[in-house]
Amino acid sequence: MKRANASGSDPRILPDTVSIACEGLTYSYPGRAEPALSGVSFRVRTGEYVGIVGPNGGGKSTLLRLLNGLLRAESGKVMVSGHDPSESPFQVRRRVGMLFQNPENGLVAPFVEDDVAFGLENLGAPREGMRDRVREAIRAVGLVGYGRREPHTLSGGEKQRVALAGLLALEPEILLLDEPTSMLDAAGRREVLYRMQGLRGEKTILHVTHHLEELLDADRIMVINGGKLAADIPPGRLISNPDLLAKNNLVLPPLLRLAAELGLDAAASRTPEDVAQAIRERVRRRAEAR
Amino acid sequence: MRLELRDIRHVYSPGTPFEVKALRGVSLTVEPDEVLGILGGTGSGKSTLVQHMNLLLEPADGTVLVDGVDAARLKKSELRRRVGLVFQFPEAALFAPTVWEDVAFAPRRLGLEESEIGDRVRESLALVDAEDLKDRSPFGLSGGEQRRAAIAGVLAMRPEVLVLDEPTSGLDPASRQKLLRLIQTLRDTGTSVVLVSHDTDEMAEVADRICILEKGEIRAIGPPADVFYANPDFAPATVSTVAALGDDGHGIGRPVRFGETLRALAGLIEG
Repeated sequence: MKRANASGSDPRILPDTVSIACEGLTYSYPGRAEPALSGVSFRVRTGEYVGIVGPNGGGKSTLLRLLNGLLRAESGKVMVSGHDPSESPFQVRRRVGMLFQNPENGLVAPFVEDDVAFGLENLGAPREGMRDRVREAIRAVGLVGYGRREPHTLSGGEKQRVALAGLLALEPEILLLDEPTSMLDAAGRREVLYRMQGLRGEKTILHVTHHLEELLDADRIMVINGGKLAADIPPGRLISNPDLLAKNNLVLPPLLRLAAELGLDAAASRTPEDVAQAIRERVRRRAEAR
Repeated sequence: MRLELRDIRHVYSPGTPFEVKALRGVSLTVEPDEVLGILGGTGSGKSTLVQHMNLLLEPADGTVLVDGVDAARLKKSELRRRVGLVFQFPEAALFAPTVWEDVAFAPRRLGLEESEIGDRVRESLALVDAEDLKDRSPFGLSGGEQRRAAIAGVLAMRPEVLVLDEPTSGLDPASRQKLLRLIQTLRDTGTSVVLVSHDTDEMAEVADRICILEKGEIRAIGPPADVFYANPDFAPATVSTVAALGDDGHGIGRPVRFGETLRALAGLIEG
């Protein structure tokens, strides 16, 4: 099903193949009056990095579960790398890796390298190629030298990267990340986000999070609220739209909120130094105006 | 209640190759009616420390004092009623068919009258703003609703000290703000709160004092401004921004909370 890469000579232009397509996707949990998702339509191109935000209970996790065939849509269409996940769940799951909040739940083997190899072993991959893929996956998450470490001796960020390596060893086309940093401390969060950035363009990534600051570099952000797709826009436009944020119970992270309320450019405020510099600039301009 | 920890030491798997000295002599006091924030990275000993506050873990060495009385001499059931502990992801322990029954479980175990149990359940659900959930199954709730139901279950014991281990992790911003307001309400109505978190921005908004743990030892403890301005690696965005101004921020003081920082910086810009 995979079509040839149709991008031109500019490597920044994404190919026009579609990795994920949803049309009028609707799902209700048994015994619940309101559908968890209703009439959701969107497309994600191959290699795109798409953030997903919205309140708890809004339908984000339901969407991810529909995408890898854990749930079957009531109506509407889903295609994930050319297959319908409810018809061919195994075709889809071989192409889709899913990373969850709590890395502890996914780590099973005595050593890091065995854990990374676990998924491949289950697929019956030949032994020789397996070693290379495990080594490459461990390298991709920055854990060279950790192969013989025991997972329980690792920090939260390291464990989450082992879980990510386990997914990468399967060479998925698509990564579905369900709040992968919410249980990590600041250092662990930075480590994991840095590795995600490294996979940009190489993998199609859907990243669910409550932390808008993690999505400032995403290609676009989908806001899911009350089972509906409330917005699908670039990060800069979302963070500079107070009404849209408020309507969807989204709160800017403190640094961006500080910048926005001081009348500075929130989208350009990545670090405290950026905000401090913008304040200095304002103070200087005021002094000149006098 | 005044809860005092004196020189607490804890070792996991002592005498084996896996021995870990999780706490290396920690002394601190949770004062009546305060929110004490405990910050620290993964493996700093935060969770181990709070489990000593109601002797769920017993120290290898050191003493826990409740209003001056050695906690080891109190009945465990009394100690655990007075010091309520809410673990990380407490919703994992929800079990009853309805939220009401779940919250009623602990007061029922105390052997209270049915009418008293009803009062406590109503009161606890009102505190966490979850009265409308009382007849729902805990398993059909959203993450934020489940978290509040689980916290109500501990509040129904009417603890004098409430210990919350990462209570906001995995919650959306609106649910997080609700929880932070609850913490302030509890403090204002006479319950001390110990808040463990790795979210320094959130800690800056509610804590009266901050303690930073590192490798099982206290690296800093004191008023938020003192601790945050002296430990930039744990500072919230507000403090980092003021610190980044350096001498250009001279004269605006050491604001910590969002509101005061915004006012101070706006004043600087307007001159």
